[in-house]
Amino acid sequence: MTVEPISGTTRRSFVAASIVTAMLAVGGTATAQDTIKIGVITDETGRAAFYAKPVTQGVELAAKEINAAGGVLGKKIELVIEDDSAKPDVSATKARKLVDAGVVAIISNSSSPATQQAQSVSLATKTPHITPANSGETLATKLDNPYFFQLGPLASTQIKTLMSYTRSKKFKRVAVVGDNSGLSKIIAGVFEKSLTANNIDVVVSQIIPIGSRTAVPQMQKVRAENPEAIFQAGIVGPQMAQFFQAYHQLGMKQPILASFNLSIPAYLKVAKDLMEGVAFIDAYDPAKERTKQFIELYKKEYGSVPFSLPGYGYDGLYFVVDALKRAGSVDKEKLRAAMASTKGWSNVMGARGATVNLSEKDRRGFDPEGAVVRLIQDNNHGPAVHSGTK
Amino acid sequence: MAEIGELLVSAVAAGSIYGLMALAYLLIIRPTGVINFALGEWAMLGAFAAVALGSDLLIPALHLPHVFSFVLVVVVIGLLAAMTEILTVRPLIEKGAPILSPVLALLGVLVISLQVGTLAGGTEALPTPPPFGFRRVEMGFLAGTPQAFYIIAVTCVVFAFAWFFFERTVWGKRFEAVAINRRAAALMGINLRAVGLLAFVGAGIVCGIVGVLAAGASGAFYQMGLPLAIQGFTALVIGGVGRVEGALLGGIILGVIEALAARYLPIPSSLVLGVPLILLILFLLVRPTGLLRSKEDMV
Repeated sequence: MTVEPISGTTRRSFVAASIVTAMLAVGGTATAQDTIKIGVITDETGRAAFYAKPVTQGVELAAKEINAAGGVLGKKIELVIEDDSAKPDVSATKARKLVDAGVVAIISNSSSPATQQAQSVSLATKTPHITPANSGETLATKLDNPYFFQLGPLASTQIKTLMSYTRSKKFKRVAVVGDNSGLSKIIAGVFEKSLTANNIDVVVSQIIPIGSRTAVPQMQKVRAENPEAIFQAGIVGPQMAQFFQAYHQLGMKQPILASFNLSIPAYLKVAKDLMEGVAFIDAYDPAKERTKQFIELYKKEYGSVPFSLPGYGYDGLYFVVDALKRAGSVDKEKLRAAMASTKGWSNVMGARGATVNLSEKDRRGFDPEGAVVRLIQDNNHGPAVHSGTK
Repeated sequence: MAEIGELLVSAVAAGSIYGLMALAYLLIIRPTGVINFALGEWAMLGAFAAVALGSDLLIPALHLPHVFSFVLVVVVIGLLAAMTEILTVRPLIEKGAPILSPVLALLGVLVISLQVGTLAGGTEALPTPPPFGFRRVEMGFLAGTPQAFYIIAVTCVVFAFAWFFFERTVWGKRFEAVAINRRAAALMGINLRAVGLLAFVGAGIVCGIVGVLAAGASGAFYQMGLPLAIQGFTALVIGGVGRVEGALLGGIILGVIEALAARYLPIPSSLVLGVPLILLILFLLVRPTGLLRSKEDMV
């Protein structure tokens, strides 16, 4: 076999091909420079999907609005969205994929454990990483990750707000009811600890197991202790339905106080007509001016009134964009520093006057006085009746 | 006494659902020996089908009256079961594959059903309006929701029908014959294909019924399948694979023990979860044939 020298024609086409390749490469770089890529980790199919999806919808709404107004730093925002099915290991893999795709920051909307695991990647790759909605208490403290910032209201902030409301109602003997999902157990645990710390007796604590077909035995046990109020720590839809059905069926009248979880609208459907007057924690006051603007924008885009969840995602992207503006660059280190020096920032979420404040020492930004207590009215999230922890 | 009445109605209603799931297992296991763990997911698909057809949550235009949506759901899940039998189980059995092969193929069907249910129905719990509304109904010392009484009534009808089928019809006898000795039954001229298909369709119909009943009680939910599959299997182990009445008995015993343990055992609420599983292990160890023995064993 002989190797033929490259003929004239072949050489020309070789050169032409090289030029095309080079142009393509340049073209590719040019596109990359035209947009600022921001990664989003969401959950489309897993157990966190019911809150992750609306939060991500809020991120998309913000991106559309920001891009329509000209983008940031003269460039459009390009969202790169990945689904982790709320699985921590997958979340870390997806974070790595996003970093490889060249994102300047990652917004985690999936479950708290998934966000925790994804931090191993943001720390290793020095990528600014935020969670707009996750409330996991130790998300920003478990790992010393200066690149991670939590904007969601901490579980403890929510509970302090609920306790402040509870004190105003002067309850002394209460019950706690939840299910056996991880999050529900955490909420129930926090409820019990805080109630005890406030000198309120938890006289009975019950779990409605996932997959059970009735909550009557558990609610009979609650009724037998005759508490003055019931703290609802449930998460899983059918078990919530069973709780409210048993409550009404057994003729119980005690006020029900619930976690931020009831700010998720899905529960209004599964326990329709059974939740009137239930108090729950939210970080959203529909009567606030900026929130009213958001509600109008959302209505124009999707034709329905938003609940609080999209507001978290909307604020999440606005927070990243605000930090990008202050950093004046897409440099990840500068962006991180800008995020860490956020002071007095506010947008849709939080009670009136609440602001986001971050520092190198404390990367948990939600205002401790920023959560509110709302009541369910006419199968809908009603007005805020209480705010803050005082 | 009123308290026991409330507890009994809710426990028997729960046990009825477990019993129906056990019946669905039994219908397939008897003639084919195949354990179909996808049954729970079929019930989940049935529940979402009930929401799609009988409420305004998934397809607002439909919202059919309960009777129509009930029948349609049962037909749909029955057809799904028939397709599953024809496409996945029959080819394997006819090629003489070991019994584990169709069980594994059906695990594949489980995963596909779960994902289809999640894509079509979403991840929120969606209820259908309970056909008899929601209130407290009292009958003597018994008290429960209309849906609980409805579940118990439908279950009685289904089991009466299943009992009649097995005890009084030729087709029922064919099922028994295939269960006792497949080869001999075939030699006697029994159409194994038809029996296999009918077994799956029967199980599909029962799962469809479970779906409709569950959707009216606490909603269709994408994660509802696995608990139903486990509860039904536990009920089957307690009651025994041999007889239809065993499935119902096993379901009710499981439901009542769960309720009594949750209400009266002086242990933390989270530990009560283990009670049914302890029962399952005990039965597997002490009485693996279940409470009711099959007729061929008694011969």
